Amino acid sequence: MTTATSPSRFQNWRYGTIYAVIGLVFAIFLSRLFNLQILQGVDWMAKAEKNHTRQISIAPARGIIYDRNGYVLARNIAAYNIVVTPAYLPDDESDIQRIYRELSALTGVPASQGTAADAKLLEACTPGPGIAQWVELGASNAPYDPVKVDCNVGEATAMVVRERAVDWPGVSVEIEPLRDYPTGSLTANVVGFLGPIPANKEQVYRQAGFRPGRDKVGYSGVEASLDDILIGTPGRRVVEVDVAGQELGNLQPPVAPVAGNNLILTIDTRLQDAAQAALVGEIDYWNKIIYGEIRISSGVVIAMNPKTGEILAMVSYPTYENNRMARFIPAYYYEQLSQDPRHPLLNMAISATYPPGSAFKLSTATGALNEGVVTLDQIIDAPGKLTLVEKFSPTDPGKERDYVDWNEAGFGKIDFLHCIAFSSNVCFYKLGGGYEDEIPEGLDIERLKQYARALGYDQPSGVELLGEASGLIPDPAWKRINKGENWSTGDTYIASVGQGYVAATPIQVLMSAATIANNGKLMQPTIIRSVQDGEGNMQEWWWNPADQTVTTTSAGAGSYQISPFTPNVRWDITTDAIIIDYQCEDTYCTDTGLMKTVQPWVVSKIQEGMRLAVLDARGTLHRNTSFLNYPIAVAGKTGTAEYCDDVALDQDRCKWELWPTHAWTVAYAPFDDPEIVIVAFAYNAGEGASVAAPIVKLVMDAYFEIKAIDIAQGLTGGP
Amino acid sequence: MLRGEFWRHFDFWLLGAVILANAFGIAMIRSAIAGNETLLPQINRQIIYASIGLVVIVIATVLDYRYWSSLDRILYLVTMLFLVILYLSGIARFGSTRWFTVGSILIQPAEIAKLAMIIALADYFARSQDARRDWFWIAKSLLIAGGLMIWILLQPNLSNAIVIMVIWAAMVWVNGLQLKHLAAVIVMVLLAIAAGFPFLQTYQQERVLNFLFPPKSASYGATYNVMQALIALGSGGWFGKGYGHGSQTQLRFMKVRHTDFIFSVIGEEFGLIGAVLTLALLAFIIYRCLRAARLARDPFGSLLAYGVAVLISFQAAVNIAVNLNLMPVSGLPLPFISQGGSGLLSLMFGIGLVESVVVRHRSLEFA
Repeated sequence: MTTATSPSRFQNWRYGTIYAVIGLVFAIFLSRLFNLQILQGVDWMAKAEKNHTRQISIAPARGIIYDRNGYVLARNIAAYNIVVTPAYLPDDESDIQRIYRELSALTGVPASQGTAADAKLLEACTPGPGIAQWVELGASNAPYDPVKVDCNVGEATAMVVRERAVDWPGVSVEIEPLRDYPTGSLTANVVGFLGPIPANKEQVYRQAGFRPGRDKVGYSGVEASLDDILIGTPGRRVVEVDVAGQELGNLQPPVAPVAGNNLILTIDTRLQDAAQAALVGEIDYWNKIIYGEIRISSGVVIAMNPKTGEILAMVSYPTYENNRMARFIPAYYYEQLSQDPRHPLLNMAISATYPPGSAFKLSTATGALNEGVVTLDQIIDAPGKLTLVEKFSPTDPGKERDYVDWNEAGFGKIDFLHCIAFSSNVCFYKLGGGYEDEIPEGLDIERLKQYARALGYDQPSGVELLGEASGLIPDPAWKRINKGENWSTGDTYIASVGQGYVAATPIQVLMSAATIANNGKLMQPTIIRSVQDGEGNMQEWWWNPADQTVTTTSAGAGSYQISPFTPNVRWDITTDAIIIDYQCEDTYCTDTGLMKTVQPWVVSKIQEGMRLAVLDARGTLHRNTSFLNYPIAVAGKTGTAEYCDDVALDQDRCKWELWPTHAWTVAYAPFDDPEIVIVAFAYNAGEGASVAAPIVKLVMDAYFEIKAIDIAQGLTGGP
Repeated sequence: MLRGEFWRHFDFWLLGAVILANAFGIAMIRSAIAGNETLLPQINRQIIYASIGLVVIVIATVLDYRYWSSLDRILYLVTMLFLVILYLSGIARFGSTRWFTVGSILIQPAEIAKLAMIIALADYFARSQDARRDWFWIAKSLLIAGGLMIWILLQPNLSNAIVIMVIWAAMVWVNGLQLKHLAAVIVMVLLAIAAGFPFLQTYQQERVLNFLFPPKSASYGATYNVMQALIALGSGGWFGKGYGHGSQTQLRFMKVRHTDFIFSVIGEEFGLIGAVLTLALLAFIIYRCLRAARLARDPFGSLLAYGVAVLISFQAAVNIAVNLNLMPVSGLPLPFISQGGSGLLSLMFGIGLVESVVVRHRSLEFA
């Protein structure tokens, strides 16, 4: 083997270089292999794992929403989609074409139309591309994923497709859960609707196992606020897939989805229906018969049990049809709703604020009596107008201004209770701002604010709905910051009758009357009666109004239990010292650092005043025939609130004697043992006693009628 | 000739290694098919080709390799004729044609051309042992190589054209190419590459460019095959995922598994150990061929064995380099292991030539 024995005359070093080159190449290969397989092995392994593992989220069934009597308000129904799985279609092209033709004849979707490139730009099932184009697009992406060719077909069509499964390999029916609202627009403002998972929350939901694009979340109503209770827990399968996306089997034991919990609301659909009918009927009557134009544009009715805080009806008109949002939110419909100046998407019962007008006098009256501004036997002169000096500071010489009563004739000399019953503005100007020797020291704005807050104003009610407004009770500091002006004596007079800067949501007006009716106990308004799991087991849940979340244990101060149902007392103004004590002198009040309660007799006197409004011949709820000879003892307060908003400004009506007015009435019954309190509000409706009181009366009729029916049927609870 | 003494110097180690490589290759092809029904017949086909290949080795061993020296010109011209016909029929069909179909058998003249080239060049260099190593000497050998290479290049089949040129370069090197000429040749080759690049087919240009400058945006589509092969290879670890258990292979994430990327299949299913043993097996075969080249009794035999060693080495190196993402995709198979008929048969014939050289390395035998 030496060169001596070899006859070849090649130089050894030339052979050597060949060996060296080959050796070098193999050495590079070895190091590269070591680097790839050992040093980077974990990374490549992870990539290989990711390639052939797919996590599949299994959608949980969303919880069902019932009213208090078990009537379904929101449920899941099946929508049938016809799908084609490209990989399972027959091999023969003519067979495929036959299937497309037959499917086209059944569904009306063209067998072939346009190009797959067109289909790429469109949402599944959008009319345009033919079956062949949808399938072509799907096959190029993932041949084992079903492609939707026709969505939401009838049950009969779905049956035909299933029957023909043998003739049509690859064609099948996919069942998609769809939210259905049997009561539709009647309960839309309370129940709400669903929409796709928003982009900014995609990460959070994805982590929880949901699939954006398929799973939906609440956008409004309890669907949104109690989404965490309703949505359930998605199941999960980890499967092995091949390069075409075909599932080969589970890699881990599958986790089954857990259905969402069912929600039982306090709403009584029958009363809700009656309330809506009363509101819409009255609005239509006034618009068509009396005004001859569409003047009253919107309205609210809320009915609540003052002893428990259960809201039995909450109507906000106009509203929307939540069933139209079931499959997807149609752009034109949403556009139409969001641009409507009457704000149909807004639940005006809790999200819109209006001047409460005379309905607010309950706060002024409670404060004035409790602070000793007035005594029960004191006679107050209540003429048609009062000329007062408006001062912006104690040294301001002031300017005389007329403050008028809604009743130009005035009420003559009346006592405190009749001030409430007749709703005398002049009387309340005097109580709020003081008047010469008659009322030497008025309640003043600082103290008025305390009593208004004690009755529920100036803060959200904490009901289990999103987007609640807090309303406003102004004070001098607020005015200086927001209006850049000193508080004037005139501001106090106007605030005393619920005008000026005072703004309240309908539910706050309702709560103020409910607190009086319930002897000073402010009950937490609620629309949830209980939460049950799929098997009907009662669950414990708390609502935390501060951050609008639900928890399964108490989340501390402010949170309250919503399931199982427990009446929650927010406070009792006769025992809980929540009112800051002020010492007032010559319209200037200073905080004494003490806290006080409302004396119980004061509350019962306010109740009497409200009862007198119905009983006295000149009472605001007596004058028209609403509650005349009503079989059940009713007490209440009306309100006719002048306002100026952008609509009124456009009509140039924000002027003396031209102010448009909202109509309010809040009333409860039976007087001795109240079980229902109702507020009615009508936008730009005119006089409260004329327009709103009849609505309250109709709803009250319905309440007692429903109660009678329930008792006759042996149901104890009533609504 | 078939007496016992004839087989005395037969390289059973080489034959054994080749049979082992073939058997291993068939096993890996079976795994790499991964249940693809259209590819299933390839296993039996490969077994048949390997068996025919063994017969070819025996026949080539029995035939004295020196006959090829006299048949050299005929072989060369017939091969060229095949290539020209193939080229012309390719023009007629407006596309690339690389093989003739004889019944169900595909014959790839480029594979025959590689061996014809080794024989032709070995003959030329053996005859010109005493010639001066001048430009004329180089040019004449280049003419022989180019005569076949050009038709392969025109198919177009760049990889095999390069194989021919590498065989020529290795031959001219070992036969005493002067260093100054080498430098000049390297410069010329670089110039040729620079000048020739614009004339490459678009897909060839894209392959080269994709390799040199991986486009970040199009990383999924253009480099998909290479990336999947790397994932397969890299995820093998020390011992691999086990035969028939490579997820990249069995779930078909990797393409052309049984041909271009069979080395990645080995790496995935048998890990670093399997890959290194495969390298070692190939290295052993190459070593045995080079050994034969050193033992050969005459320059022609020596150059034959040497040429076969270079052919095997270069094809193996390119294929593995592609699998390791060190080179753009070429389409050259892994010798003895990748699925493929003509390629395997011509390599087996090459091994037969080497055996023929090694059994006759002593002119006289005194037992």
